Amino acid sequence: MAPAGRDERAWVRGARAGSASDLEALFRAFWPRAFRAAYLVVHDAQAAEDIAQEAFLAAVRSLDRFDRRRPFGPWLHRIVVNRAIDHARARTLRREAELDELHAAPEEESPLDRSIVAALQTLSPEHRAVIVLRYLLEYTPGEIARLLDLPRGTVNSRLRRGLDALAEDMR
Amino acid sequence: MKRELEHVEIPDEHDARERAWQLVSAAFAERVPAPPSRPRRLVPVVALAVAGAIVAAAASSPGRAVFHAIRSTVGVEKAQPALFSLPTSGRLLVASGGGVWVVQDDGSKRRLGSYASASWSPHGRYVVATRRNALYALTPTGEERWSLARPAVLFPRWAGTKTDTRIAYLTTSRLHVVGGDGRGDLDAGGLPAGARIAPAWRPGKGFVLAYANTHGRVYAYDTVHGADFWSRPPRSAPYRQPRLLEWSSDGKRLMLVTADKLVLFGPRSARPLAVRAERVVDAAFRPGTHHIALIRRPGEVSQVTLGARVIFSTAGELRGLTWSPDGRWLLIGLPEADQWVFVRADGRKITAVSNVSSQFRSQPFPRVEGWAP
Repeated sequence: MAPAGRDERAWVRGARAGSASDLEALFRAFWPRAFRAAYLVVHDAQAAEDIAQEAFLAAVRSLDRFDRRRPFGPWLHRIVVNRAIDHARARTLRREAELDELHAAPEEESPLDRSIVAALQTLSPEHRAVIVLRYLLEYTPGEIARLLDLPRGTVNSRLRRGLDALAEDMR
Repeated sequence: MKRELEHVEIPDEHDARERAWQLVSAAFAERVPAPPSRPRRLVPVVALAVAGAIVAAAASSPGRAVFHAIRSTVGVEKAQPALFSLPTSGRLLVASGGGVWVVQDDGSKRRLGSYASASWSPHGRYVVATRRNALYALTPTGEERWSLARPAVLFPRWAGTKTDTRIAYLTTSRLHVVGGDGRGDLDAGGLPAGARIAPAWRPGKGFVLAYANTHGRVYAYDTVHGADFWSRPPRSAPYRQPRLLEWSSDGKRLMLVTADKLVLFGPRSARPLAVRAERVVDAAFRPGTHHIALIRRPGEVSQVTLGARVIFSTAGELRGLTWSPDGRWLLIGLPEADQWVFVRADGRKITAVSNVSSQFRSQPFPRVEGWAP
C-alpha cells in the first residue's frame, strides 16, 4: 500500500530534520515495492537488495537537497529501475558466472510465481522495466516516459510488445 | 497482472529488508542534518560567520581534534551484539585467551581446548593446534588424534591432498616438517634458521615450503626432494623484518610483507617481480585471484584496500585480514572497538559484530586463524 502524499511529505520533512522514526516510516513504506521492482527486473534477489539499498542510501545522502514539493516515490523508483536496467544489461553482456552464482542454491518459487517470473525473464530488461513500472508501481505511460527519459511512444510500444510476449509465453 | 507481480515470492525478502534498514539507518545516523533555514537576508552574513567559525575551529589544533573525533569515531555503529551468523558459508578457526574455537556459519561455537594457536588442514577436516611444548592434530569437534612433544612450537601450517599431507612448524628458529599422521618428524637442520613468521606451503602439486630466514631472505624449499625449488637465484635478497609470507591460491605468486615493503615473487625464481616500498599492516590474496587486500594506515585512519579501491576505513587500528573461502567477504579485526567487521569485497556491504573478546572468553583480542569451507 502506497502511503498518502501527506504522510510521505511529513516523513521526508521529519527525516530532513533528523528524525530517525520518520526515516524508518519512509523506509518501511517504500522498501517493499522498490525491492520487488528491482527483483522483477534483475531476477536476482541479492542484486535487487543491493540496488534498492543503494537507492535508499542515495536518498539519505540527498535528503537535504530533496525538493519537498515533489513526491518521494517517483524519485526513488527512477533510481531503482534505472539501476536495475543497467545491472541486467551488464549481466547479459558478460554472461556472468561468478562463484557465488555457481554455488548458490536454486531459488524456490511457487508454480504461480514461476509462470510470471519465467515469462518476464524472456523479455529484455527495458521491457521488464516498463511492465513493472506500469503494473506493479502503477505509473501512467506519461509518468514512465518522464521517469525513464523516453518518448511516450517508446513506452507505449514497449508496453504493448512486453504484454504480447508475456501473453504468448504464459499461454 | 498487478496481483501476480505483488505475490511473486522473493527469497530472503524479510532479512533483506532488515539488512538494508540497518545500513540505511547507520548512514542516516552519520549524516549531519542541514541547519534550519534562516530569513533570506541573513543568509550571507550567517553563512559567512558559520564558515568562518568552521574554518577557525578546524584550523586550530583542538578544533582539528574535535573534527577528527566527530568524523571518525572508532568502530562500526549498529554492530550486532554477538556473532549470530557468518555472512557466507564456511567455518572460522579462532584463537583467543580462552583457547581455540571453531565457529560454524550459523554462529554456533565449539571450544576445542586450551590451545595457543591453530590452523586448518587443507580440506578443513582437521585442525592442527599448539600448546607451548606440543603439537596436536584434532578433529573440528576437539577430539585429539595425535600429539607430538616439541619445545616452543610455533606457526603450524598444514598442506597436501586428502590422502597425503604434511605439517610445517617452527620450534624457536628451527623449521620442522611432520607427516599428517604425526609420523616422520623432520628437523630441517641443514636449513638456515627461520625467522619467527609462519612458513607458507605452496598450493598445488608437491610439498614446496616458503620460509624466511633470520636475515629476511626468502627460500622456497622442496621438502620431498630436499632441494631448493627456486633457481636463478634460489634465495631472495634480504628484506629486513619479514612479517608475513603467503602464496596465491594457484601457487604462482608469493607475497612477502616486511616492516616497510611488500614484495611479490613468481613461481620459479627468488628474483622479485615487484617490490613496493610501503608500510602495510596486513595483506591477503583474494582466493582464486592475484588481487591483494591490504590494511594500510597512512595517517590517523586505517584503510582496507582491494586493488585501487578503499573498501573500508575507520579511525581505529585494524588487525588481521581473513578472506572467506569463496573470496566474497573479508573479516577484519577492530580491537579498539572490540569488533569484527565483515566487508564484502565490493565494499558495498559491511556488517559488524561487537563484544568479540567476551564471546571467546578472552582478555586479548581474539585472532582469526582461518576460514575453511
